[in-house]
Amino acid sequence: MLEIMFSSLYAMLTSPHTMGLMLLAVLLGLIVGVTPGIGGRLSIALAIPFVFGMQMIPGAVFLLTMHAVNGTSGQISSIMFGVPGDGDDAATTIDGYPMAKKGEAGRALGASITASGVGGVIGACVFAVMIPILEPVVLAFSPAEFFLLALLGITFIAFLAGGNNMFKGLIVGFYGLILATVGTDPYTGTPRFAGNYLFLWDGLSLVTAVLALFAVPEMIALGVHGGSISAVSMEQARFSYRQLFEGVLEVPRHWWLAVRTSIIGAVIGMIPGLGSSAAAWFCYGHAVQSSKTPERFGHGAVEGVIAPETGSNAREGGALLPTLFFGIPASSGMAVLMGAFLILGIQPGPKMMTDNLPLVWTLIWALVVGNLIAITFLLFICRWAAMLTFVNGLMLVPFIVVVVALGAYINEGQWENLIILVGLSVIGYGLLRAGWPRAPFVIGLVLGRIAEESLHKAMELWGLKFFVRPLSLVLIALITLTIAYAVYRNIRPSKSLVGLGVAP
Amino acid sequence: MKSALMKFSNSTMTVAMLAIFVVLLAIALRYPPEASFMPFVVGLPAIALCLLQLVLDARQRRHADEAVDTRSDFEKAEDKVSHLVGRHLDFEVAHTALPGAADSRLTPEETVRRELVMWGYFLGFIGGILLFGFWVAIPVFLVAFLRYQAKSSWRTALVLGLGASIALFLVFERGLKVQVHRGFVVDTVLDRLER
Repeated sequence: MLEIMFSSLYAMLTSPHTMGLMLLAVLLGLIVGVTPGIGGRLSIALAIPFVFGMQMIPGAVFLLTMHAVNGTSGQISSIMFGVPGDGDDAATTIDGYPMAKKGEAGRALGASITASGVGGVIGACVFAVMIPILEPVVLAFSPAEFFLLALLGITFIAFLAGGNNMFKGLIVGFYGLILATVGTDPYTGTPRFAGNYLFLWDGLSLVTAVLALFAVPEMIALGVHGGSISAVSMEQARFSYRQLFEGVLEVPRHWWLAVRTSIIGAVIGMIPGLGSSAAAWFCYGHAVQSSKTPERFGHGAVEGVIAPETGSNAREGGALLPTLFFGIPASSGMAVLMGAFLILGIQPGPKMMTDNLPLVWTLIWALVVGNLIAITFLLFICRWAAMLTFVNGLMLVPFIVVVVALGAYINEGQWENLIILVGLSVIGYGLLRAGWPRAPFVIGLVLGRIAEESLHKAMELWGLKFFVRPLSLVLIALITLTIAYAVYRNIRPSKSLVGLGVAP
Repeated sequence: MKSALMKFSNSTMTVAMLAIFVVLLAIALRYPPEASFMPFVVGLPAIALCLLQLVLDARQRRHADEAVDTRSDFEKAEDKVSHLVGRHLDFEVAHTALPGAADSRLTPEETVRRELVMWGYFLGFIGGILLFGFWVAIPVFLVAFLRYQAKSSWRTALVLGLGASIALFLVFERGLKVQVHRGFVVDTVLDRLER
């Protein structure tokens, strides 16, 4: 294990190609993170055309690093202007913005950037520690459990993304599952829902579907509502590097809080469907509850900046675990990442533990090194990065639409995918307009094939008895309890913090 | 008005999803049992869920007049954290950070008008790609959008639009050696010229 661990690090650090890609990924990830209107999952979807044809490891490192550092720069606008770039930055705004108003923007930024990096590194460490612990569990799973795990993944995502509208989340998840059956049936060779259209025989293009469900609706919405935040003053963007350094030192000063919230964030990340917003809010709540002076929160307490940032970034390390080993994406961002991994030839599942451990370790190191590079970059450039917040969203829309069209086409080189893009975009925008969750769709689409194969294998091996296997019963109980709780919550809506802007 | 629109679109979406599942299952009936197994495993519960959701939509409409929690997420968070702390807290977030701040400026009619414009640009762009290919449609779309929708000056629109088009051409055609769609009209014209 130790040999694989360090040889992966050595191979990564000594490959100029991989390191060059990682630096590029950090830069792009930070820019995307600070730019309004482009979320993490969208940035991965947009990056897919550019990794087309890349080798497996450099491509995976590029995408994961970009995804991992995305949240690191998002807090700049939250702190300086009180405008969160993404859902998980909202918790940082609560204390970060008052600090900026008190003339402590540099201190808040130093603390938040360092906390993000520390969270990312600790999250990767938690993931690494979990590998030997989880190995026997992962290997104990049979096809029966993998079918039920797919259902559980959709149920979790539907529950958390849909809030009080879990049924809508489930419907969207099933929509993804049924679209995953488009193409040649693996057992009879019957082309399902594909007619005589050969381009559909290999199934619906995952990249096209993801771009249609996420990128196009978001761009239409950005075009409709605009994305500039010119109403806020640039005055607060001024700060000194001395303040920034003081902020950096706040993290070692509150090291125990940083470690605790990082672990909480990583554990939350392991639960499919709990978004980074949930990690940030949970950790913020924990910081408030564990503080001896909770009255300072909401008025510029530095712990209120450290806790959500460590939590939301540590989450990425934890989220890799179900994604890589169970093939269950922990969030919609991870689902898009998993789709990209499939395109690169990486097949998530238990075999990652046995056959692909060097790749797993490379990804863990990519999280660690990527976060360290991101902190260093951002501490120097945050003053200028803040300017990106003022980019008019309308100026970004056409460029992103162009990349979306190129991505949809290049993936399979089929013009018909552009028609599919339009068709699915209409449904995607309908879902966005009606306030339906879209994340379960990606999970359904990604897991559809795995679920079908697992179901067929389980039926061949055990018939209907596979439902009464011990592990199956546990998973069925979890699915049932989640649905039952959702029904209960529909009748008596709760006011929990988790319900705040959770967007897995 | 907004909530009425939302409620309407909620049911519309449910009906649309129901129709999709029914049509797909009707098609799946023609397949051999092994091939139609998974579509039915997924489709039947999905139809049941759609019907249940329609009932919930109707129930929601009936209770529309009851008190609705109109607080923003920030206000709800304020209450929750205040509860944790044990005294009232007042979060000092910028007005623009509050959800719905941007939406409140738009009337429903204006929203629909802007949506139609955006869809027009998108469909026009995709149509342009299919007919004239990527390398004709991209610069036209970029320059037109930047000039008329983003209200840039002609100079900015031309510099950004043409610059980005050239950069993409170099990256994809020259760098990644990707042959993109040339367009049906362009193909036909080039074929005729070759003959």
